[in-house]
Amino acid sequence: MRKSTRDEAIWRFLGYTFVLLVTLLMVVPIYWIIVASTLPEQAFLTAGTDIQLLPGSHFFANLEALQARESVDFIQSIGNSVFIAIVYTLLSLVLCSMGGFAFAKYEFTFKEPIFYAILATLTLPIQLLVIPLFLLISQMGLTNSYWAIILPWAANPLGIFLMRQNMKQIPDALLESARIDGATEFQLYYRIALPTMKSSLAALAIVLFLFQWNLFLFPLVVLNQGKYTIPVAINELVGAQRVYYDQIMVAAALSIIPLFLVFLFLQRHFVSGILAGSVKE
Amino acid sequence: MTDSNRRLDRRRILQLSAAGLAGLAGCGTGSQPATDSSGSGDGGSGDGGSGGSSTETATDGSSGQQMASSVTAWSWDVAAKSLDLIDEPYEEANGGDVTVEQFGRSNMKDKFKSRILSGSGAPAIATMESVDAAAWVDTGGLRDISGWIEDAGIKDGFVSGKWGPLTKDGATYALPWDLGPVGMFYRNDVANEHGLDLESVETWDQFIAEGEKLPDDTALMNLPPNDYDGVWRMMFRQLGGLPFTDSGAVNIHSEKSLRVARQMKRAHDAGVTSSVASWSSEWFNRFADGSITGLYGGAWIEGTLKAEIGDTSGKWRVMKPPAYESGGNRATNWGGSNLVIADQVSDAKARRAFDYMQFALANKEMQLKMYRENGLFPAYKPAYESDAFDQGSEFLGGQAAGRMFAEIAPNIPSYTYTTDTPEITKAINSEFKKMISGDLTPKEAVDSAANQVADRTGRELA
Repeated sequence: MRKSTRDEAIWRFLGYTFVLLVTLLMVVPIYWIIVASTLPEQAFLTAGTDIQLLPGSHFFANLEALQARESVDFIQSIGNSVFIAIVYTLLSLVLCSMGGFAFAKYEFTFKEPIFYAILATLTLPIQLLVIPLFLLISQMGLTNSYWAIILPWAANPLGIFLMRQNMKQIPDALLESARIDGATEFQLYYRIALPTMKSSLAALAIVLFLFQWNLFLFPLVVLNQGKYTIPVAINELVGAQRVYYDQIMVAAALSIIPLFLVFLFLQRHFVSGILAGSVKE
Repeated sequence: MTDSNRRLDRRRILQLSAAGLAGLAGCGTGSQPATDSSGSGDGGSGDGGSGGSSTETATDGSSGQQMASSVTAWSWDVAAKSLDLIDEPYEEANGGDVTVEQFGRSNMKDKFKSRILSGSGAPAIATMESVDAAAWVDTGGLRDISGWIEDAGIKDGFVSGKWGPLTKDGATYALPWDLGPVGMFYRNDVANEHGLDLESVETWDQFIAEGEKLPDDTALMNLPPNDYDGVWRMMFRQLGGLPFTDSGAVNIHSEKSLRVARQMKRAHDAGVTSSVASWSSEWFNRFADGSITGLYGGAWIEGTLKAEIGDTSGKWRVMKPPAYESGGNRATNWGGSNLVIADQVSDAKARRAFDYMQFALANKEMQLKMYRENGLFPAYKPAYESDAFDQGSEFLGGQAAGRMFAEIAPNIPSYTYTTDTPEITKAINSEFKKMISGDLTPKEAVDSAANQVADRTGRELA
């Protein structure tokens, strides 16, 4: 008895230490970006000598310098990114959940080959797709429009896969009983499948949002100034004559805020066990 | 879940589906032949579109010499500003309109390369650094302008060393713009204060010996850890070193490269160098407060310094880079750009583009304009006849540096860039980092860098 409590304490101690370490690893870079954004450039670039760990008072000066730039309107690029990522995420959630539902709950010809073909597209790196996609988009006359960034990955293969795996958990009996009660197939999807998938949808939303938020090469090639997303706008700060680290830090720090809000908003939807007790077997 | 909630969900889903359908419908209508609002096939502020532009080619066929009324040019920073300078005089003289769009440098390169690879949406004119030439030419997206250059009879006007990278299999893909003959810029006031005699310095060894007179907190020159390769390349080229042999074998472990590595290591071990990331504000600040005295850089760097740390005007001087031995070559190069024409634009646009390029680059007056305003050192030799090169620079305390650089320019050994140049950059940077910190000897560093490049590119070792 005594021995086992001691073991438990040791394990708990190790567990906490590990979690603490991981937390530190994740928080420190973000903390540093925020600190760096409040310092003049030379204060955080002085290589190794004395590292500044406390925020300074230079944030607004850096921000002003960032906003004074002709070739990048950073605030607008945040707006662009937020708009694109939100529309993309919502659209993609609909398409992925519909696709996932079909693959999980229906039988149709060539179901397996189609599914694996979709899955196989995951192996194609974006860099490889940029040029064919740009051609497609420009032939559609969509260059320099938000749709050019939103549509190509709207039916995200990873999303379809994840939704299929999750929707397999929905008991067939549940769908059957709904059918008997007179529900249409579409009602099965949005009144039964979707509500039970809330936490998976929230998780997928974060993945999709991040995916779109981080896209760099494709938006750079397709969009023109004024419609740039955040990663492209930040890269504009790498000039031929200078790298504007101070402004890059402010831009990076500001671009964390929308992501932070999205996480905050979605984390309350992570509820599990919504299906518990839905059917009696 | 309450009823109202559920209804909200349903409504949202319906809205989204509607949005999705609208999007798809948009694709449908858009897929008809490029309904391009601007009508420009050269990517302008534009929607790109019109890859084929068959109609325009047809009109060209009949007349043969038509020129489009307007074209777009892509560039970055000072280069974009310089093109802007030319825009108005060109419009007055030749009547065409050129829109210059300014980008971040790496953004512009990625964007332009993707667009020439995809064959649509590129501007007619773009700025290309010589170092990128091999990679860009390899895309097959640049127009061969050798015929036009020959017709215009302007080839001999340019410094001969510029043409190598721009030519492949007898075709020429760019018109040379500027080059960067290298000088050793230094803070004269700091040198005087500590009794350095840099004017009589001839060799690297003498240079380092002078540096040892400086106090500990003042460096003679900087070795930027993010750009060892830049320093290496300048010093290597000065010795006439070539990174690849004629047959394409990797040659960065040659005797010449080893000499450069040893020289850099010696400077570091003598304690006369600093290690500040180049192009950072700290870099500029250290030159501004004089705690780094010397800057080994292309002629154009004077313009950069003037723009960033104008307060130090008059305190600077420049000398030819030290030689390896007394009487050795003191000419090398850093940087240099060219203008290219995308192959995908119509003949009419390409003709306008070339007309503009010729006006801007093969033109003494315009080259001098860009030299005076932005410090871009012309590759067009007739410009050197101008007394603009004999005029003392206020920033350099009245020194006529232009003349010195104009003397260096024709002696710059030529150099080879290939699509594998980026591998060399990476290998030199990573291995020299280990060498400077003492983990590798100079010999091991160059050998290891050469092996790395050979491994990654499948090339032979020389």
